[in-house]
Amino acid sequence: MNIALATTYFCFLLLGGFYLIGSLEIPLGSADQPGAGAYPFLIGITLLAFSFPLFVNSLRKGLPKERGEAFPKGKNLKRVLSVASALILFAVFLKPLGYGICSAALMGAILKLLGLRSWGKIVPISILTAAVSYYLFAFLDVPLPRGTLFY
Amino acid sequence: MSLCRGAPFSTKMDSFQGLAYGLGVAFSGSNLLACFFGVLVGTLVGVLPGIGPIGAMALLIPSTFALGPTAALIMLAGIFYGSMYGGSTTSILVNVPGEAASVIATIDGYQMARKGRGGAALTVSAVGSFVAGTLGILALMLFAPPLAKVAVEFGPPEYFALMLTGLISLSQLGGGGSLGRSFLMVVFGLLLGTVGMEPISGLPRFTFGQLQLAQGVALVPVAMGLYGIAEVLVIAERITGIPDMIKVKLRELFPTAAEWKRAFPPIFRGAGVGFFFGLIPGPAAILATFSSYTIEKRISKHPEEFGKGAIEGVAGPEAANNSAMGGTMVPLLALGVPFDPVTAILLGALMIHGILPGPLLLRQHPEIFWGVVASMYIGNVMLLILNLPLVGVFASILRLPQHLLMGFILILCLVGTYSVNNSFLDIYILIGMGVIGYVLRKLNFNLAPVLLGLVLGPMFEKALCQSLIMYRGDVWGIISRPLTAALLLIGAAIIVLPRLFRLFKGMKTKNS
Repeated sequence: MNIALATTYFCFLLLGGFYLIGSLEIPLGSADQPGAGAYPFLIGITLLAFSFPLFVNSLRKGLPKERGEAFPKGKNLKRVLSVASALILFAVFLKPLGYGICSAALMGAILKLLGLRSWGKIVPISILTAAVSYYLFAFLDVPLPRGTLFY
Repeated sequence: MSLCRGAPFSTKMDSFQGLAYGLGVAFSGSNLLACFFGVLVGTLVGVLPGIGPIGAMALLIPSTFALGPTAALIMLAGIFYGSMYGGSTTSILVNVPGEAASVIATIDGYQMARKGRGGAALTVSAVGSFVAGTLGILALMLFAPPLAKVAVEFGPPEYFALMLTGLISLSQLGGGGSLGRSFLMVVFGLLLGTVGMEPISGLPRFTFGQLQLAQGVALVPVAMGLYGIAEVLVIAERITGIPDMIKVKLRELFPTAAEWKRAFPPIFRGAGVGFFFGLIPGPAAILATFSSYTIEKRISKHPEEFGKGAIEGVAGPEAANNSAMGGTMVPLLALGVPFDPVTAILLGALMIHGILPGPLLLRQHPEIFWGVVASMYIGNVMLLILNLPLVGVFASILRLPQHLLMGFILILCLVGTYSVNNSFLDIYILIGMGVIGYVLRKLNFNLAPVLLGLVLGPMFEKALCQSLIMYRGDVWGIISRPLTAALLLIGAAIIVLPRLFRLFKGMKTKNS
């Protein structure tokens, strides 16, 4: 049994279930006048129809594993999770802290996580990246958030 | 707009008149600049691992807002075919393919470079790409207008059948495991496409009270997440050093007469193979390179040289992946239906610019159709000039430390996504799709159907509902229209025939 694969199919199964229930709350209409819920209803049924047999198959013992790369372990897994967490923190704090602080912090985190050791290089590169990208996008008429805590 | 006013009557314009008109459009200042910028970015994207042409195109959609739709499409198309040139550079010199369609060039191209013929491999690859790219555009120019003329007669049932067959074909040919797994990705994409206002009644669905979701899940965060953030997460798994690169001197760039003689027939065959695969829904450039390599190896007088530095193994596939671009543009420009993620991004960009692609595009916006076609000729010339003398410069970009490159890519993805709608929600969608894309990639799922499902979803739903209304719910009436039936039969054959062949082959092996 491939746990990662079974979990993925289970997530699709759950998504299909919730989506199908959601589609029933929208008018289904009839075959000659389909309502806004008819197509989502069909999609929900189809998603369940494909994910259920795949999920059941993935639970059976002795089946050859579907081809795929192994998920990282140990330090490598920690690095991937850290990059993902840094991205989530960026999204959470972007509105209150603004683009400048968040992008500098994200760049610093990525540089550190992906192998740059010297803080003497990390700090100036991060600040420079944040400043240059901020003014570059301002020049292109793209207003970036300045932080609700400060403005 | 002044160019539009100068347009001849497009319905009566033959292909060569159209090309002449298109050259006028493409040579106008901003369009020429957009073309140059597109092919330059494309070459860089092709060279660099970490961000492919799809991610780069999605990333630069917001920057096209200031341009018109013609310049936007010229630039985005330039990124794609430019990446085909750039991808082969690192495949040959470093044994690192910059993008998937250049993987095959690592086999014989890198071996040639190790034998001191890297310069010849690069020149054959660039000239082959140029010749095949040009032939592909010529075929596009000849195929698309008549197809658009026929497609004007298509009704919703034909469009529904065409899109269904396209999605089936993409699932079957795109790889990623069993058909069930590929269909799962298609349905996931279609599901994402249902978020927002229903295309006929305008009723909001699955918006969870978020006003921003009423417009639907935006293409940019999904594409950037699946192809940009997911790639960065994959690269974050293991830190690698700067790869060793074989240096090429300018005088080594010239192939010998014998090498040219061996390279030209594969280039022409590759052009044909590439264009053919471009017409079929699926990852055209990748399939075309693998097929071209197999064909060249099979018909070669020296099959034993393949894998050890055969010039045919570089010339054919490199020609095929460029010619495929012309083929993939046929359904997009003639029917308004994309059959691969690259053309899905182009369609998305056109729609963002308020242009509804379809068979009437040629009549209503000849400047877009012919401008893009002509820009592809110009772009190919630019790429030839850019790539040969500057090959060392492009390859040396790989010396940029990975941590710096990944940091820049992440910042660009985040700001690029935010800038489309100034939406914080889009950033969450980007990160969510990045994590989903990473997990699905590790499990060997094919992600292209997700993107295509998202783009085609609303069109697919509209065609289905309009067909049902037209035929008052009579499904048999819909599927018995001759063209609809033919398209659905092709879709069924794509699923059934390979399985039947496998079954017969198995029975034959068992009996013998």
